[in-house]
Amino acid sequence: MRAMVEGTGFSARLADGTSLYDLVDEKRGRISRRIYADPEVFELEQERLFRRTWSFLAHESELPEPGDVLTRDLAGEPVLLVRGDDGKVRAFLNSCRHRGMRVCRTDRAKVKRFTCPYHGWTYSRAGALIAVFAEDLYDDAHLNKAELGLVPVAQLGSYRGLIFGTWSGDVPPLETFLGNMKFYLDLYLGRSDAGTEVVGVPQVWDVDANWKFAADNFTGDNFHIYSAHGSIVDLGLLPPDPMALSFGALVRAEGGHVLHFVPGPPDPAFSHFGVPKEFVPHIERNLNPAQQDLVKRHGYSVGTVFPNLSFMQVIVQGDFESPPTPFLSFRLWQPLSATKTRISSYLLIEKEASSAYREASSSAYVRTFGPSGIFEQDDMENWKDCTRVNKGKIAQRHFLHHGMNMQAPRDESFPGPGEAWPGSYGERTQLAFYGEWQRWLTEAAPWTR
Amino acid sequence: MDALTPVSVGSADHNLVAEWLYREAMLFDRGDMNAWLALVEPDIQYRMPVRRSATPGAGGDFSTLMYHFDESHSSLTARIKRLGTEHAWAEQPASRTRHLVSNVLVHRAKEDELHAASAFILTRGRDDDAIDILSGEREDVFRKTETGLKLARRLILIDQTVLKTYNLSVFF
Repeated sequence: MRAMVEGTGFSARLADGTSLYDLVDEKRGRISRRIYADPEVFELEQERLFRRTWSFLAHESELPEPGDVLTRDLAGEPVLLVRGDDGKVRAFLNSCRHRGMRVCRTDRAKVKRFTCPYHGWTYSRAGALIAVFAEDLYDDAHLNKAELGLVPVAQLGSYRGLIFGTWSGDVPPLETFLGNMKFYLDLYLGRSDAGTEVVGVPQVWDVDANWKFAADNFTGDNFHIYSAHGSIVDLGLLPPDPMALSFGALVRAEGGHVLHFVPGPPDPAFSHFGVPKEFVPHIERNLNPAQQDLVKRHGYSVGTVFPNLSFMQVIVQGDFESPPTPFLSFRLWQPLSATKTRISSYLLIEKEASSAYREASSSAYVRTFGPSGIFEQDDMENWKDCTRVNKGKIAQRHFLHHGMNMQAPRDESFPGPGEAWPGSYGERTQLAFYGEWQRWLTEAAPWTR
Repeated sequence: MDALTPVSVGSADHNLVAEWLYREAMLFDRGDMNAWLALVEPDIQYRMPVRRSATPGAGGDFSTLMYHFDESHSSLTARIKRLGTEHAWAEQPASRTRHLVSNVLVHRAKEDELHAASAFILTRGRDDDAIDILSGEREDVFRKTETGLKLARRLILIDQTVLKTYNLSVFF
């Protein structure tokens, strides 16, 4: 009989007796390599984290009109999102109730209704079963169409254009789950009057790496830049001093949501993340003074919405001629297995953006990030190699070390909510992420704070 | 839009384009990227649109707004210079590629401008990984210049909606 976590149906140990509490030692900064490579840990993670938590599904702008459909994935299962005739977005398991076939089999579609290719069962844009083949051959005891609609996602929520879903009816509503991270999401998504939209479609690619290396990298690992992205320094597109990007702050919001801020380039004209000046009045209208202060003073902000949605607001040069240009990207790190991740990376832009700003922001993004980006190519190299080696049973005997700048006192004057520490080089935010991950693997209601 | 005149397979202009494409493939596969850069025009536009599957009513597969590559001469130069630095980890060690080009069809747009469509298979081996295979079509615009045929436009139509290679640190 395995030891159980009190008050849950959860075993507290892996099959070989290892305690789940030993996988992450947040206080001492020790992380077990098994969490990146062990199939048993992956299964626990699917059950206790991904089938319970809120996960990012789509951006509102991707399905603007009734009948617009997107197919996505929620905790490893296919879902479809559809905007109904009432303008409301709904999400369902993408599976016919008759034999299980997907009722939408493209990434995007425009539908009047969903007809299963197999036997023709047909569902409305609101997910109701409206027609069954040879319906006269069923009697009432054997067919109750009202009970056979598409299976809805348990909860669907939207914040500033980001649509999230969960298979759990127990997890609190989205805005409670996001907690004080909403204050920070507003800086990127709520600063312009009309909000943001996706530029085109997401870039999607698969990498043989555990998803947590990507989420960890975006929790605020600003100190990988001078090693991992040394080639960009060599090109002269980043300042040569390896401490040049060490200023700013690391922030731990509630619920494992974490981020960092870094001042922009040392140009007196630089402010407000480097966005075009016409957006400054928007920022002053839409954000409160503490939020405005953070936007005004910084050039870079990167973070992770727990567990696997990350974002980056940065200013970059993707070539030798263009001026430093800001972009905002959100990316989902979707686990396919312990050692495989599907990355979906979205470029967002203010809906009011001029065509010149759109083009500049888009080419700056594509040249530096995404699968071909001169920065991001090298990230995949690192995450892939870390995952490969951490599969090893000998390697797994030795923990991985996190401990940079743990001694720094809190910055009590930081204007935003949560806890903040001065300087953007450190590992507090990574450890906060792993601590939250451990809570979801061991607690009945990890969202209770 | 200029009218496009078909150029017969085996004619002088077809041979010119086909040889250019074969030479390019060899330069790519031998990693001689500076020699390749000398074959492209200063106003080059080099793009790979993102492909997502869509029903006919929901627009085409290829995005007209988002790209995997959206390159100018300067950004291609940055990519190539980067490969020569000490810290371009994604290509250290370098990918072992094979660019196979076929189905080359050429049209003449103007006296000095040729359009070419071709199919490619790109195999990529690296480290002891299994070989990644990427396929697609390229739509190119070439100009005849005093220093030979030069690439002015390239549109790479990749066959994958989800890229099954972990990064695009190679050229198409």
